[in-house]
Amino acid sequence: MAKGFDVRRLPGFASVALLTIALLYVPIVILVVFSFNDSISQSQWAGFSMRWYETALNNATVRDVSIRSLWLAAVSAGFATVLATLAALGTTRVGRFPGQTMIYALINQPLMVPEIVTGIALLIVVAFVKVQTGYTGMGYMVLAHTAFCIPFAYLPIRARLETLDPNLEIAAADLYAGPVRAFWHITLPLLVPGIMAGFMLGFVTSLDTVVITEFVKSAGQETLPTYMLGQIRRSTTPEMNAVATLFLLLSLVFVTAFFLITRKRG
Amino acid sequence: MTRYFATGVAALLASTGLAQAQLNIYNWGNYTSPEVIERFTAETGITVTITDFDSNDTALARVRQGGHGFDIVVPTHHTIPTWIAEGLLQPLDPAIVTDRANIAPQWLDVAFDPGREFTVPWQWGTTGVIVNTSVYSGDINTADVIFNPPPELQGRINVIPEMSDVMAIAVYHAGGEDLCTNDMDVLRRVRDTLMNARQHWLALDYGTIEAFGAGDFSAGLYWNGASMRARALNADLAFGYPATGYPLWMDNAAVLADAQNPENAMRFINFILQPENAAGLSNFARYANGITGSEAFMDPDMATAPEIVIPEALIAAGRFSTACPQEITDLHTQIWTELLQ
Repeated sequence: MAKGFDVRRLPGFASVALLTIALLYVPIVILVVFSFNDSISQSQWAGFSMRWYETALNNATVRDVSIRSLWLAAVSAGFATVLATLAALGTTRVGRFPGQTMIYALINQPLMVPEIVTGIALLIVVAFVKVQTGYTGMGYMVLAHTAFCIPFAYLPIRARLETLDPNLEIAAADLYAGPVRAFWHITLPLLVPGIMAGFMLGFVTSLDTVVITEFVKSAGQETLPTYMLGQIRRSTTPEMNAVATLFLLLSLVFVTAFFLITRKRG
Repeated sequence: MTRYFATGVAALLASTGLAQAQLNIYNWGNYTSPEVIERFTAETGITVTITDFDSNDTALARVRQGGHGFDIVVPTHHTIPTWIAEGLLQPLDPAIVTDRANIAPQWLDVAFDPGREFTVPWQWGTTGVIVNTSVYSGDINTADVIFNPPPELQGRINVIPEMSDVMAIAVYHAGGEDLCTNDMDVLRRVRDTLMNARQHWLALDYGTIEAFGAGDFSAGLYWNGASMRARALNADLAFGYPATGYPLWMDNAAVLADAQNPENAMRFINFILQPENAAGLSNFARYANGITGSEAFMDPDMATAPEIVIPEALIAAGRFSTACPQEITDLHTQIWTELLQ
């Protein structure tokens, strides 16, 4: 057989690929390298040191906002995963119904609509509710993050559902399992990897949402990303590099977990 | 049921009790001295929560919508007229804010808040020129070191790529009284000056503190705070205030019209009017504060720093920029675009 078409042999493939990879990773590598710098400089290397990690970990504000971010991400991703699981079941385990595509699009709205639009829309509604009720707690943040995380949780769950062998559920029904029993004993256990993956993606998404948080947060509801954004007006020190590196590490752990869970599927 | 009700009432009472001793400050990130806040809490028993904003626009948008829960906001001077005109701020209460006289005379009757009815100074700074005096020993209080550089500075200049700062210094240098002047002769001179000066500039970059320290640049248009940090690396660096005029900026604390804790907010406003506390804000943020007598409490290196203490003769040359009308901004943008090409 003659050599088929291979994108890797197109002229310029290597240079474009290299440039893209460089753009993606060089800035992050520089950020990480300078988090270990033994001076305040972001451009001149003065030797290896962990002092900025020490500063960051001893910074009470960094601790507070990190804990708040993790809490918020866990709670929001939890709610989002439950809702996304129900949505995935509702859009795959039933016959075709009118408006199904529309519902699919509606669920994925946060993926299409620019974050700033959602942010401003939420600002207007949330501000109104705050004025009317006087409640300014974390509830708004949980609701906003949950809504935003649903499609990220939904997609892997739905993908998993679609690859499940429907014969297993039919077999369960043949053996006199009611729909509820079949769900708890057959569908749900098989769906767990998808649900876990959905939770991880939702968690990471909530963790790095900036724009929506900036518009919804009330007094004292700073999260790690909005805190980091707030640091940029004055000169940034490698302390922020250290915080960013730790943040990156955490995201990597979750993304790796996501990868491992979804890979098992095959 | 009754027990639940009682618990609810108790919680409500507790929360209003708390509300009396709370204060929510909405400020730029990394800008509020934790030490000053601790002192305020120790003195008054009021718990302070600080929340960050990242731009004047975000702060304005949040507060306009209401329901934000903040008591004090710290916007930059050029947005203050908007805050006042939209009724977002409340006048300072003279019964609690008793020490407005501590504001240094030149910051007392400012155009953006005549008579300081709504705001008090937080921090302020300037844009001027930085010069390596081991390379050039002439007068540094002039924009000519950048616009008509002497041979020893040619090709060793960096200008911050900040349109409003560069245009302001150029307009004043060309004889314009106001940044937003519509005098075409002035604007033509501005363009010619900048286009001619461009060939002598090595770069238009931010973040050049180390490059100045290392001597890679010998002159530049720069902010006072960054210039002070560059001098810490290289004692030959000096900061000059162009006598023809230079831009000033000032962030100001104000109490929001719909503050939940207006009385606590007023107490905090008066608290930062005390020289010792204003100095505390400066020692943390590393800018000047505009309160008479605060020098005595400032870190020694700051109290006398030439980047902060403007020479008497040059104080009047400092001007607050305003937001220009659209057609003037368009002209500035055209000149700026031509300059960057």
